[in-house]
Amino acid sequence: MLTRRRAAQFLATAATGLALSATHVSESWAADTVFKVAVDCSLTGADSESAVRVRNGVTMAIEEANDANAIPGIKLELVTYDDGTPTAGQYDPAQAATNARKMVSDRDVMAAVGPQMSGAGKAMAPILSQGGLAIITPASTNPDITNPKFAEQYRPAGKPIYFRTVTTDAYQGPNMANFFADKLKVKNVYVLDDSGAYGVGIADTFQKQAEAKGIKILGRDRLDPKAADYTTILTKIKSLNPEALYYGGVGQAGVKLAKQSYDIIPNVIKGGGDGMYGPAMLTAVGFPAAAGWYATIASPHLVGDTKAQAFVDHYMGRFHSPPDDYTITAYDATLVIIDSIRRVAASGKKVTRDAVRDAIQTAKVNTIQGVV
Amino acid sequence: MTTFDLLLQQTINGLSLGAMYSLLALGFTLVYGILELINFAHFNVFMVGSFIAMGVLQLFGLNGQEVILTGLPLAMVLIAAFAVTMVASGALGVAIEVLSLRPLRNVKGPAAMITTIGVSYILFNVVLLSQGADAKNFPNPLPTKRFQIGGATLDLRVILIWIVALALMAGLYVFVQRSKMGKAMRATAQDPEAARMMGVEVDRVIVTAFFLGSALAGAGGLIFGLYYNFTSFIIGFTAGLRAFTAAVLGGIGNVPGAMVGGVLIGLIEAMAGQFIATAWADVIIFSILVLVLVFKPAGLFGRLAPQKS
Repeated sequence: MLTRRRAAQFLATAATGLALSATHVSESWAADTVFKVAVDCSLTGADSESAVRVRNGVTMAIEEANDANAIPGIKLELVTYDDGTPTAGQYDPAQAATNARKMVSDRDVMAAVGPQMSGAGKAMAPILSQGGLAIITPASTNPDITNPKFAEQYRPAGKPIYFRTVTTDAYQGPNMANFFADKLKVKNVYVLDDSGAYGVGIADTFQKQAEAKGIKILGRDRLDPKAADYTTILTKIKSLNPEALYYGGVGQAGVKLAKQSYDIIPNVIKGGGDGMYGPAMLTAVGFPAAAGWYATIASPHLVGDTKAQAFVDHYMGRFHSPPDDYTITAYDATLVIIDSIRRVAASGKKVTRDAVRDAIQTAKVNTIQGVV
Repeated sequence: MTTFDLLLQQTINGLSLGAMYSLLALGFTLVYGILELINFAHFNVFMVGSFIAMGVLQLFGLNGQEVILTGLPLAMVLIAAFAVTMVASGALGVAIEVLSLRPLRNVKGPAAMITTIGVSYILFNVVLLSQGADAKNFPNPLPTKRFQIGGATLDLRVILIWIVALALMAGLYVFVQRSKMGKAMRATAQDPEAARMMGVEVDRVIVTAFFLGSALAGAGGLIFGLYYNFTSFIIGFTAGLRAFTAAVLGGIGNVPGAMVGGVLIGLIEAMAGQFIATAWADVIIFSILVLVLVFKPAGLFGRLAPQKS
């Protein structure tokens, strides 16, 4: 709830509901041109549950577009790339880079959705930039990638190619710091991260704002997400008597941290970013250990929202499991791509990556979370 | 917490970690002692063991930390869980030996070791694909009972882990030192050719070593689950690597060395996390390993075996 308002401001002002036309289906012609939309998410590893939901969101948007013949004469095809590897146990930047190269070398790929993880995004952005391929991320929140300051590193070819349908950690981390200081009246805090791009970034932004707010930083340490044992660091934290603990990172280390911190420091206030917001907190951590964590989320909270209800019903019918907020941001990202391709096609220009990229940059699309 | 309490608490943490590393290290050492083979499949036998244990506990109707047992039912469940897990893991170890390593017995070079890496990946991916990638909530029927020693907390689970690990290691030591098979194992370790000439069935000795090592890894997997309340397909790597380091530190091939090495690595990990930073724990562990090997190339308890050519 914390970041809902900000995220909503960041993204959109008014929403007019779903623009899913119910006009049923003209037969697809053999003459339809097929373009590909790629999706990259971390299907292998600790974040697989949310990855499946992201992929499903994209799948659904594309199926609907094809069924409704949203772009006359053009059919879209989804290609899925997995940036998780068994050895990493979660996203693997090297695999993400390989995926980006594959996308770029497939001439039919017009645009992409993904990745979930900022660490993957940092690896993909330079390659996609050189290939002129636009990507819209539904979940990766590290601000560096889209920060003009790092343009040389993340978009060496010049034009922006990395777009978002979520807010960045530049909002998430500081928001939790404000919440700790203003609402919970926390005086001191210990900060941990999981040594990933997202985790370190969000913990840094939290720490900076916390210091600005006068919260004392008792210490900062880094977890190895593959290690099983965090009792050592938690014992150390316990001896420092902090009022709160902030963890920046994703589920692989987060689940273990939540379980063990419940045993060792049950009464300390604990907070995290959207990496700690997901189904794994409930299925793998379980109550009561999962209770008592505060988490921010980078998307507006939509699943409970009435406007999104039609989407949720539809999704349940198609995949027989509930979506989460990042399913919706992924769905919305795909809507933007579909609309951009449609506008390029309608203007009579040839559908190229460059034209689609330009169209995405100027997109105004009615999505579930509002106008993007 | 005073500094003393803190040291005491970190010692408790370190000993619990060490108990697990020791159980795992024994498997490396048993196989290495006899075959001079580093068995990388052992990493994931441990992981599979924790999944077998989870299955057994779920068969008893345990789910997460919701069902808490005490007294006789608890003892029965735990004994059954340890027995089934150890036998099943042991059988897995024997299967690995018979199916993938025995055919390579007379092949020179690193073929057998590479095979164990392959087997390790097979186990890893089978569990990943069949059980899914998410962390599993490991059933734990142990009541949460905590004892305060000064400012430090000693959990009932931790005491149980120590007792079980000590009992298993003592049992193994007695077996190797006193039983006929143990004698055959030691003889094979010293000189397989001579042992064979004296009528030792070397293949049976090897199978026994794999069975015992893997059974201990299975017990380690169960203890891991009870201690951390979770398991996942990925737990084998970090724990396995540290345990392997422990075996080398203690002198690979030496049974008491593996036990002491495991406990040392556990304590070093805890103290490094306390006094420096957990981010540096691996660096410190491996620096100490390098230092020890520089001054004692055979490890703390190992002897360079002059009998072997």
